[in-house]
Amino acid sequence: MSKLYYDHLIVLDEVEAVIKRAARSQEEKEELWKVVDETLHHRVMGKVLDKLPREHHEEFLDKFHASPHDENLLTYLQEKIGENVEELIRQEIGNLAYELLQDLKKKK
Amino acid sequence: MSGRLPTQTYHEIDEERIDFEYLRNKLKLKQLEAKKSLSEKYPHVEKFLLEKGIELGKIREHSANVLGAGALTGALLLSPPMGTKSLPPPHEIIEKIKIAQAAQITPPQEILVATLTDHLPEKTRPLSRDEEKYLERVFNEIMGVPARATLEGEHLNTTYGIIGAEQHLRRYPGDTIGSHKPYLKEGMAPGLGAWGYFAKSKTELTFDLEEKEKWYAVVQTLYLPDWSRRQPHLKNWYKYRKVMIVNTKNGNAVIAAISDSGPAAWTGKHFGGSPEVMEYLGGPKYKKGPVIVFFVDDPENKVPLGPVEYNKVSLAGIPIERI
Repeated sequence: MSKLYYDHLIVLDEVEAVIKRAARSQEEKEELWKVVDETLHHRVMGKVLDKLPREHHEEFLDKFHASPHDENLLTYLQEKIGENVEELIRQEIGNLAYELLQDLKKKK
Repeated sequence: MSGRLPTQTYHEIDEERIDFEYLRNKLKLKQLEAKKSLSEKYPHVEKFLLEKGIELGKIREHSANVLGAGALTGALLLSPPMGTKSLPPPHEIIEKIKIAQAAQITPPQEILVATLTDHLPEKTRPLSRDEEKYLERVFNEIMGVPARATLEGEHLNTTYGIIGAEQHLRRYPGDTIGSHKPYLKEGMAPGLGAWGYFAKSKTELTFDLEEKEKWYAVVQTLYLPDWSRRQPHLKNWYKYRKVMIVNTKNGNAVIAAISDSGPAAWTGKHFGGSPEVMEYLGGPKYKKGPVIVFFVDDPENKVPLGPVEYNKVSLAGIPIERI
């Protein structure tokens, strides 16, 4: 299973619908899925580190590396950041979806 | 204001199919931008991960390896898994099932739902080998289906996950939605399934192939850690492989043939089901829910695709949909 600690916060149904319409084969679909997935990980990591005090970065990275699926990471981040981390991540993913869809809309 | 959410701008995107190359370039640009931004802002992250031998972009593969290793050693998760429930010895539950069956008081489906409710965690997660073995025995005893979490050495990344509704698949060139009655509102998937058309032409579409599309399942073969390494064996092995899908909330079960790969991990779903599969599992409004997916050990092809009718009695308050 390829679970990540923030998987349950991801809502990208609209992006998925656009990909399904564009891909002509399974290979193309999977290629686009992977590109979106990789973008997502960089954006979420960036947002988390923006908020997490620098002295905790290595500790967090250690924990993330040891168990990237573990939802207890959210509790850890919540404690160190002191903000609603789930909401922060949700917003960042929402921003990414919006940016992607706006970019595509510009084509018209 | 149209009442749409800000992210629902896809409605305004050209209804025509967006050119694949155009979309790929746009997404790639966004990906490079995100990667560059993180690397410039936090160079120590890239350094840290490189030292560990992983790339952030490939973190899902790393996660699959961590979870796979955990499941093999029985440790499952590095920290205590949420929602772990202790399992009674299999003979105890089997005995209970036999007593209930002999007394003919409790319908088998009710026994199954109670067993799943008692012993599965509320939130879906990969199950340990012990948990899977336990369920194999329960399914065999209650439903009479030889279902296996591991078959011929193959195992899905997870056997307990969320299933989502899929559209019909094109069975042959020129196939139209009108020939997929009665479930028309789900529509036809724009692309082909992972194994292409089921038949080269309408005349070559046999009853067997028709059934495979009707009762099809989608599993995440693309995230199997050894998927790329073991080709073409794995692609052939998974093509139309029979699985049993059990709705853990109401006990409805279906035998389906794997005919597509997906969904993307970031959809939050782990499996997909054809309109017919979803209708049987949860009724006309069922779009998403927790299920168990096991392979069916059926070397002689004796188990038919479609509903597993092990119980004709409806549970109180939970409709058992019949097609």
